[in-house]
Amino acid sequence: MKEITKSIDGPETRAIVDRLYEVGRLVFFFATILKCTFSRPFYFMRLVDQIRALGLGSLSITVVIGLTMGLVMTLNFGYGLVKFGGVLYVPAVVSLSLAREMAPIFTSLLVAGRIGSGMAAEIGSMNVTQQVDAIRALGTNPIRILVVPRFWSAVISLPLLTSLSCFLGILGGMVVCQNEFGMPAGFYINKVLDTVKIHDFLSGLVKSGIFGAIIAIVGCWRGLSTIGGTRGVGESTTWVVVTSSIAILITDFFISKIFLLIWGH
Amino acid sequence: MQTILELNNIHKAFGEKRIHQGINFSLHKGESLGLLGGSGTGKSVLLRTIIGLERADSGEVLYHNKPITRIKNEVELAKIRTQISYSFQSGALFDSLNVFDNIAYPLLEHSKLSFKEVQAKVADVLKLIDLEGIESLMPSDLSGGMQKRVGMARAMVLDPEIILYDEPTAGLDPANIENVIDLMLKLKDMGQSSILVTHDIPSAIRFCDRILILKDGKIYFNGTVNEFTESTDPNILKFSLPQGKEATHAS
Repeated sequence: MKEITKSIDGPETRAIVDRLYEVGRLVFFFATILKCTFSRPFYFMRLVDQIRALGLGSLSITVVIGLTMGLVMTLNFGYGLVKFGGVLYVPAVVSLSLAREMAPIFTSLLVAGRIGSGMAAEIGSMNVTQQVDAIRALGTNPIRILVVPRFWSAVISLPLLTSLSCFLGILGGMVVCQNEFGMPAGFYINKVLDTVKIHDFLSGLVKSGIFGAIIAIVGCWRGLSTIGGTRGVGESTTWVVVTSSIAILITDFFISKIFLLIWGH
Repeated sequence: MQTILELNNIHKAFGEKRIHQGINFSLHKGESLGLLGGSGTGKSVLLRTIIGLERADSGEVLYHNKPITRIKNEVELAKIRTQISYSFQSGALFDSLNVFDNIAYPLLEHSKLSFKEVQAKVADVLKLIDLEGIESLMPSDLSGGMQKRVGMARAMVLDPEIILYDEPTAGLDPANIENVIDLMLKLKDMGQSSILVTHDIPSAIRFCDRILILKDGKIYFNGTVNEFTESTDPNILKFSLPQGKEATHAS
């Protein structure tokens, strides 16, 4: 009996309890964001500012990741399938994998690195310099002022960025197919339109919206709990990039499974 | 004298460390109270507890006889925080906003003034702190002393009933200390009540009506400035005597 009690009180158990407690706080934080979203006061202009900063600011990396994904995937699939005479399937394979998985995942991971760390750094340094306390002391709510606009800007911007990245990836694939495998552009486009159904595209968009929510929740939550001066801010940004990337990858599996159950293969 | 703020048996601990072990005092209308004590005795924590940035483990803060310690309603809390404002030690200006936006922030959030009226009010407040014409500057363009004064301007722009000053003169040169204390005295003359946390004894003596000394988590001394300066208690002499004279006095 003593042994059981000892193992229950052990450091491993405490670590698990601490993790569960942290998850509980994140869920509560998410609930608070939703509550603040649907009650006054609203800060619409702050949302517009954040969409400009997070969404438009991430355009360049989205263009780069979208194009390079399409170019590299098409090259690899093309030379792989050409051995088996399957080069005609390249447009289908590339576009489907881009729409369903690659565009949402890669765009989200890159954006997590950019805006997730940015949120943690900005809010974290506000926290350690008492600016967050000042927001509270002046009778306003930091969740409404800082978190809600960032949350919704990420949820709105990421699907748009993913759409762009997917479109550029398919475009890149077309360029490679035309130049490397002599495939006419019209044939490529027809194949893409035949293969990618609206629900494939939608599943990518919904996923990226959820990934955007994950990035914002993790980034803002960590920013608001940052302590320990500039060192704490540095630790927070690293933690946010690692945690949100892992969370995105794990969540992707479950969302993919759910979509496959809903829409079939 | 009318009591506007009352602290009853406030207890606060951070982990094992017990900061406050039954703090009791009250603030009267128009009164300036100086809160002194060694470093780490919980003076700033007490100010943060009053305004609700920290939650007391037990005890009650009463504002006009109404308990405010455990208010969770956002609207009620906001109302209290427009009446009791906090001037941060560092100024805590929003570094993404310029001076005008920083000072206008509480007005835009809590008043129904038109933008022109807000502009006029900000200009008035900047005139009061002798920093006219700096509306468009960013906090990073200001000196430490100017940042503190702008922080104080932001704290007073809604004409709160009580201002809590957290070490307003810390880290300032004598000229800037003079400016800050002059500003606080102007506000005092206008009828503002305040609690001043400081290590700057001459400023506390000049500004305050009453002095409290925090020691071992409790209020060790609560008396007028005269009682403070005339006390022969060695624990009070540590604070009331100019540096170097304590030894002479003891001998």
